[in-house]
Amino acid sequence: MPTSPLAVIALGCAVLSAIIQLAYLIVRPPLVRATKVWLLLGLGILPIGAAFAGNVQGFEATKERAFCGSCHLMTLHEQDSDDAASLSLASRHARNAMFGSENCYTCHADYGMFGTIVTKAGGMRHVWMNLTAYRGVSLDDAKKTISLRDPWKMNGNCMQCHSTRDPLWLKVADHKSVLDDVRAARVSCASAGCHGLAHPFFVSPNPVSP
Amino acid sequence: MAARGAPPALIFACVCALAALALMTWQLFDPRVFPIIVAMSAGQVLGTASFLTYLYVVANDFRRQLRQGKEPGKINEG
Repeated sequence: MPTSPLAVIALGCAVLSAIIQLAYLIVRPPLVRATKVWLLLGLGILPIGAAFAGNVQGFEATKERAFCGSCHLMTLHEQDSDDAASLSLASRHARNAMFGSENCYTCHADYGMFGTIVTKAGGMRHVWMNLTAYRGVSLDDAKKTISLRDPWKMNGNCMQCHSTRDPLWLKVADHKSVLDDVRAARVSCASAGCHGLAHPFFVSPNPVSP
Repeated sequence: MAARGAPPALIFACVCALAALALMTWQLFDPRVFPIIVAMSAGQVLGTASFLTYLYVVANDFRRQLRQGKEPGKINEG
């Protein structure tokens, strides 16, 4: 049962609207002014409210790890993030409250003014690929072919939090030696020689690495 | 038309709106890829079609009343 305020608003609007429509369909009153006003509520204002609240709730739901994991190809990723004992980068970040249940979205979303729109458009591409190229492909086979489309973008996402400008961060010799390469995404933070792959069980065939 | 009961277009609008609401609320209970995409595509299309049909019927009724030279909104109340 949905409990978020937006979902409750959407459900409330939908139920009230459905009551008005069903009453109209059963009684079928003449089209007088009162009928028009009731139908304006039942066919216009309340459904628009339900659609608006429902869409916002839907967009919020698409940020959740459970949503990403609802495609069979992402099952391992979801299980790993849910695993409190896992030491993968993805799982460690999922245990951070800043990432939490939205850790997939937080790390993989594009940032910037149109980041949300670009990310959602990219998500539609994932859906298309899942329905066409990967529909009948097993997880084991998919592992060999799935890779990040823009791996060079990932360092930018890491650097939203790990700015590479903190004195403590710069004190680490390995950080200092590859500073320019990390900032230019020539070396991935999540490569084998550095912090390890974010999803070590799912090795990308073309990782960004030194 | 108006005084003789529900115009068929409004019946159509109500059925469309009920279907749209069903699709839009499905995603609230089952927030996975398919229900969300269906809600944001088919649900929106059906809902919009329903509201546009309602507006068309009301505008048509209003225009008909104007053509008859009667005050809109009062003609059908008696």
